[in-house]
Amino acid sequence: MFDAGNQKSKIRLQKSTVVLGLGNPLMGDEGIGVHLVEQLARTAAQYPSVDFLDAGTGGLSVLHYIEGRRKAVVIDCAFMDEEPGVIRRFTPDQVRSRKVLAHQSLHEADLMQVLAVARQLGQGPEQVVLFGIQPERVELGQGLSPTLTDKIDEYISLILDELKG
Amino acid sequence: MSKGTVNINVHHVTRIEGHGNIVLNARNGKIEKLEWQVPEAPRFFEAMVRGRSYEDIQTIVSRICGICSISHSLVATKAVENAIGVEVSEQTDKVRLLMHFSEQFQSHVLHVGYLVAPDLFGAPSVVPLVAKAPDAVKTIIGLHRLANEWSELIAGRITHPVTLRPGGMTKVPTEKELRELQDRIKKCMPNLKVVADVVFSVAGNLPNFERPTEYISLKQDKPPTYTFYHGEIGSTDCEDTVPVNAWKSVANEYVVDQSTAKWAKWHRDSYAVGALARFNNNAEMLSSGAKAIAKKFGLKKGCCNPYMNSIAQLAETVHVAEAAIQLIDQLLTKGVKPETVRVSPRAGKASGAVEAPRGILFHEYEFDRKGNCVGADCCIPTNQNHANIQKDFEKLVPEILNESEDSIRLKLEMLVRAYDPCVSCSTHMLDVQFVE
Repeated sequence: MFDAGNQKSKIRLQKSTVVLGLGNPLMGDEGIGVHLVEQLARTAAQYPSVDFLDAGTGGLSVLHYIEGRRKAVVIDCAFMDEEPGVIRRFTPDQVRSRKVLAHQSLHEADLMQVLAVARQLGQGPEQVVLFGIQPERVELGQGLSPTLTDKIDEYISLILDELKG
Repeated sequence: MSKGTVNINVHHVTRIEGHGNIVLNARNGKIEKLEWQVPEAPRFFEAMVRGRSYEDIQTIVSRICGICSISHSLVATKAVENAIGVEVSEQTDKVRLLMHFSEQFQSHVLHVGYLVAPDLFGAPSVVPLVAKAPDAVKTIIGLHRLANEWSELIAGRITHPVTLRPGGMTKVPTEKELRELQDRIKKCMPNLKVVADVVFSVAGNLPNFERPTEYISLKQDKPPTYTFYHGEIGSTDCEDTVPVNAWKSVANEYVVDQSTAKWAKWHRDSYAVGALARFNNNAEMLSSGAKAIAKKFGLKKGCCNPYMNSIAQLAETVHVAEAAIQLIDQLLTKGVKPETVRVSPRAGKASGAVEAPRGILFHEYEFDRKGNCVGADCCIPTNQNHANIQKDFEKLVPEILNESEDSIRLKLEMLVRAYDPCVSCSTHMLDVQFVE
């Protein structure tokens, strides 16, 4: 349960590529990134240069997960004005964040802003690829909506293609 | 100048995230509406653990909050152990305390560095602060990195710990790993001083505001400790402490029209929890380095300026670093051994309490004889602070109503930030528009 890879690889023994699953699995489709990285971690033996990490809702800690990597692949629930279940691959340059931060709390975070800080500090990976999945249901409760559940194989296949490429 | 006519509506209803809203309407010096509103949907995390095994509770509740996940896991583990009548070894207790210190260190460094410092430097967020004070930001990020590696070593990963089980730990660090961690913590001490110096250079921008307040935190007399983890519930308004199992007689949770989150009160209309509360109850037990920080900033026991919570956090950051160095010495002196965890379920009901970075946190669980959860109740620090934020607003605004609307808004926002409310526990980190 929420135990992807058990995070055996310490940051200091990190591999050149990291796949991060973000989100909260107690909030329905918000946890899609965590669910996917948990499944992807089962293929870890085939990808010796890839760390698969469940980053949950660690917010700014993403800075340290991606630091010093050659490539970071980030999977998260994303509001993109798409139909529920649609997955889109993009790079930070291809999007503009619409997220309004209240700056009231550490408990909110904008991934695009975190990536911008990493880049400004020269600590970001050479390549960042994001997989955004449009949610159908973001509300309290464990488990994904049927729409996303039915597409898990498609998501996994697309992300693995990215790692093979 | 606003001339006493102000309309501030810092409104952040973004889907279900439920940021707090700051509403102030005043006309000709008369306040018509002044509210700290928390319109988040009730979270019902308690319902999610009903029917689940006592062995799974700490893993599920660790997801309540990404910033305080260690505190939620620890308090759940303690409550479960109390309910099913399990005592843990001295080694387990110390390793868990070391884990808990990592979260205080991480959260405080992040809060001071990423949320409070931009205000003090006049930057709208940490992003422009990188350009204004790159070395300071890099120092903060270095300390944040240490905290992450510290929690990864003890908790099994950076957020959402996986090494906690009722009765013990599934994995403990080796003595070599502990020595390395201790060495890293010792080496970071000069960097903590750098951060304190940087904050001190702009500390004059912390608003000078006071309101007599009841402060509630854990207190531990035997042995006297600046406690985050053991002890009973104490208050600056009374001498006696209250057992953790009686926390509901302290929190006295209630509902109000302006907020869907529960509020709390004990001896007064409201109370505060968090670093300043711990400081006001336990300051004499701080480590020497932490006391030096408090002295540098003029933070004294009895302080009732909520903006000084961030300074109390700075002092606590030094305290947990120094306390962790000592704790590792104690572990190494006794030797660290792998432990086998064997626990049998039984029916029972009990509570646990820890100090999360934002303040005292209570969990209560009830189990049937098979160890399945039949009832749960969580009382988070932020809910205990909501009423106090409102009362702070009501004292502060009349004092600053003649300032510009921007200045009033900033001071109200800074006040909320000082409490660092946990009002958004799912990230929704991506809300994007495609530009090509």
